[in-house]
Amino acid sequence: MIGYVARRLMQLLPVLLTASALIFGMMYAVPGGPVGVLVGENATPEQIEKVTKEFGLDRPVLVQYADWLGRAMTGDLGHSLHSREPVAKLIGERLPATIQLALTATVIGLLLGVPLAVASALTQGSWFDRGLSGWSALALGVPTFWVGILLILLFAVQLRLLPAASGYVPFWDSPWQMLRNTILPASTLGLYVSGIFARFLRGSLIAELNADYVRTARSKGLVESAIVVRHVMRNALLPFVTIVGIMLAGFIGGAVVTEAVFTYPGMGRLVIQAIGSRDYPLIQGCILVILVGYMLINLAVDVLYVYIDPRIDYG
Amino acid sequence: MPDPVLTIRSLSVTFVGPGGIVPAVRGVDLEVHENEVVGIVGESGSGKSVTALAVAGLLPPSARVTGSIVLAGREVVGAPREALRLMRGQDIGVIFQDPTTTLNPLMPVGSQVVEGELAHGRLRVDEAWPRAVELLREVEIADPAGRAAQYPHQFSGGMRQRAVIAMAMAGRPKLIVADEPTTALDVTVQAQVLALLARRQAATGAAAILISHDLGLVAEVAHRVAVMYGGRIVETGSAHDIFKRPRHPYTAALLKSAPRIEAAEGRLDPIPGQPPTPTDLPAGCSFHPRCAIGAHRPRCRAEEPPFRSVAAHGVACHFAEEVAAPATIDAPAAARRPSVGQGEALLEVEGLKIHFPIKAGLLRRVIRTVRAVDGVSLRIAPGETLGLVGESGCGKTTTGRAIMGLIPVTGGSIRFRGRAIENAGRDVLREARREMQYVFQDPYSSLNPMLAVGDAVAEPLRIHGCYDEMGGARWIARLFEMVGLSPSVAHRQPREFSGGQKQRIGIARALALKPRLLILDEPVASLDVSIQAQIVNLLQDLQRELGLAYLFIAHDLSVVKHMSDRVAVMYLGRIVEQSDKATLYASPLHPYTQALLSAVPAPDPSGRRRRIVLAGEIPNPASPPSGCHFHPRCFRAGPRCAVEPPTFEPQPGSPTLRACHFAGPLEATRGAAGAAS
Repeated sequence: MIGYVARRLMQLLPVLLTASALIFGMMYAVPGGPVGVLVGENATPEQIEKVTKEFGLDRPVLVQYADWLGRAMTGDLGHSLHSREPVAKLIGERLPATIQLALTATVIGLLLGVPLAVASALTQGSWFDRGLSGWSALALGVPTFWVGILLILLFAVQLRLLPAASGYVPFWDSPWQMLRNTILPASTLGLYVSGIFARFLRGSLIAELNADYVRTARSKGLVESAIVVRHVMRNALLPFVTIVGIMLAGFIGGAVVTEAVFTYPGMGRLVIQAIGSRDYPLIQGCILVILVGYMLINLAVDVLYVYIDPRIDYG
Repeated sequence: MPDPVLTIRSLSVTFVGPGGIVPAVRGVDLEVHENEVVGIVGESGSGKSVTALAVAGLLPPSARVTGSIVLAGREVVGAPREALRLMRGQDIGVIFQDPTTTLNPLMPVGSQVVEGELAHGRLRVDEAWPRAVELLREVEIADPAGRAAQYPHQFSGGMRQRAVIAMAMAGRPKLIVADEPTTALDVTVQAQVLALLARRQAATGAAAILISHDLGLVAEVAHRVAVMYGGRIVETGSAHDIFKRPRHPYTAALLKSAPRIEAAEGRLDPIPGQPPTPTDLPAGCSFHPRCAIGAHRPRCRAEEPPFRSVAAHGVACHFAEEVAAPATIDAPAAARRPSVGQGEALLEVEGLKIHFPIKAGLLRRVIRTVRAVDGVSLRIAPGETLGLVGESGCGKTTTGRAIMGLIPVTGGSIRFRGRAIENAGRDVLREARREMQYVFQDPYSSLNPMLAVGDAVAEPLRIHGCYDEMGGARWIARLFEMVGLSPSVAHRQPREFSGGQKQRIGIARALALKPRLLILDEPVASLDVSIQAQIVNLLQDLQRELGLAYLFIAHDLSVVKHMSDRVAVMYLGRIVEQSDKATLYASPLHPYTQALLSAVPAPDPSGRRRRIVLAGEIPNPASPPSGCHFHPRCFRAGPRCAVEPPTFEPQPGSPTLRACHFAGPLEATRGAAGAAS
């Protein structure tokens, strides 16, 4: 098992190297190159020369890349052009907020999606099942910013129950405040994924309900609820875990719109700000962190399979 | 006589769905007593499995059930769900067909075996594990304590079916329903599982229903037999009577259409047409369009025959008295086709090896090699049929595919018409494939569902750029006629055809390029019994007309015997015995061939033969036993067999080639070995 994880981590290396080279190369693709990025459009030749020397931009590209990569590996992602603060520090402030939001949203998506999927798979073809199909389409089709605004209007403006702008409160500091601040953006995202979750799990459950081993279980005289819980659910969850992992990983970098609507201090907004201000070191750092996060979540999903599927032996 | 365990009266099952109303079972009456095994025989769509599901109360909600099923004194039809649940696993145990899918892959086998008893409250949780071990021991699984904790994928097919039997018998049910319990198993494993099932049934005194398409199997195991056709029982009687003196034209025709291992050769007598689908039953007697007696009689077309008693049988036929007694099977053996097997070889395979590496570890090193084919030599002359027989995993299909150039060859040579084609380039293979074509086992998946069948047949011509040269549409029409289909169906999609018709299309496609050799990979294995005979006859006619050579790959020894001139028996990547058909079947020399032949069930209950039940199952080809691959299962093996692999060489004084240190006729060793049971 440890060997498998080590092997998988080592397989990530080439991916990371390629990705980091692309991210590094991004600086050379922008107009003016890396110097232009640092000094701005209206710089004098003296300024350009000074910056070139200072940042070692006159060295060969490969050396610069190796230098950048070496520092990135020690956690030094350079400094933000905008705030002059270390990129690692800026990301370090936002990443926990994003992870907290992503996890909460996924939990909400599961709490909504799983019962709906089970109920509709068990009543396949009924009005309830058809209603769920409509629900899934609605949850997927309605833009998240609109749902977010509706939620703010209802809970913050009308009912005055929750804050309209959500701050980041670590769960460990105050679970209650954390919930008050996270529940609206997390519900917005959760509602959206619940549609995806319900749709996938329903399909998976229906396939398993028709499996031969379910007929065997019935022939043994098992109670229907025991068949669903003990036999069908676990088998149906196998393909479902992958979907949950992909959605969770997507939230790490992709909750931009929701974060913007709720002015939530997450990675998504940081990336938008960085792009808006052409803060390339910050953009590089964000992309790198999001990429690593994505790969680690997928690895975690694969490792999880060993525990839920005895047929998988990574050895 | 005590009350029967199961009494079925005028049972009808109709499925109501979006596709309309499907009458699957139409008025079945049946009784099963304690200690009695009743066989239900029928082809696909005959209603046999639906009847079984109805007895177990396992029909889907879309089924409308009328009539009465009384099981152990209680009415099943219309019983509340909870009552049905309590009945299952207590009064009735069910054994399903495919042991690879009947067990939950995510739960230890032991837990699944005792789950029913726990659900019925007959077992406390702390008693469950010892009970699971005990049940697995009862079905003769080695190391039951260790095995109980394992998952289904760690079990072999035969062991899984043993576990399913343990599960079905756990509650000591009064009735066991076994629906095709051994169909998915290999012949030698089937023999083991059947014997076990019979022992467990006798030990518990349960009543049993055995459902099968295999007449031989039912003949060997059942006391009474019910033959189903078109949703009805058309004939019932004692197993002996039904097979010796059938009274329904369908039973008689079915018996005549199946190739039999003990019978002399001669043309098979297939039932024309195909089994009716329940949505489209013929009026009157549903068998009349295929019936030799009633096909043209107005009464058979108009009036469904009532079930009546004829000479101690129950028969549903207006003219049962006219059904002739089956001809004795010692018809003169057809003269061996002369010219066959002579002359230059069309295909010559020498020492063929196909090894697949298994890679593992960080650097994907090769840790083991699966020797799927390990030194196979064979030769096929023009116009000749070589049968290649073996159980699953023996490498017979891999051999066939390698000859076609579909799998890279590790070693040895393949020569087609004198030209080496192993690992040959595209052009050489392309040329060879014009004269060598493959017919696949599964006619359902080997045709592209989006392609009209005429285009499918024409595809090889287009690939080789000779569509017009070969005669274009006229040749396609001729091909359809050759395989017994109307050329007018060429524009239809594959889904509009039955399995047998699809296989005909597959054969037409293989014939399109006028090949000299067809590799037939289990061409009839997935077809109904009455259809098998049609395809076998078609293949024989084509061979005679076109002078084709066949490599006939199959597991069914009866069909192989019927089709082949010479036969090669494979075990775990090697040919263990090869001879002309008559010699091989009359006096097999290799112990594996002997066991294989004795394990074939024959539809002749009077001649229940002595059967050699082999121990164990086919080993993993990735780690085959040392020496002779067969020695751990062999009843004749000596110390030498574990060390020294036998050479494949002629048996002195016999035309047979065999690879065995102790090859010899069965009688000579039977007494001494004492392994026959």
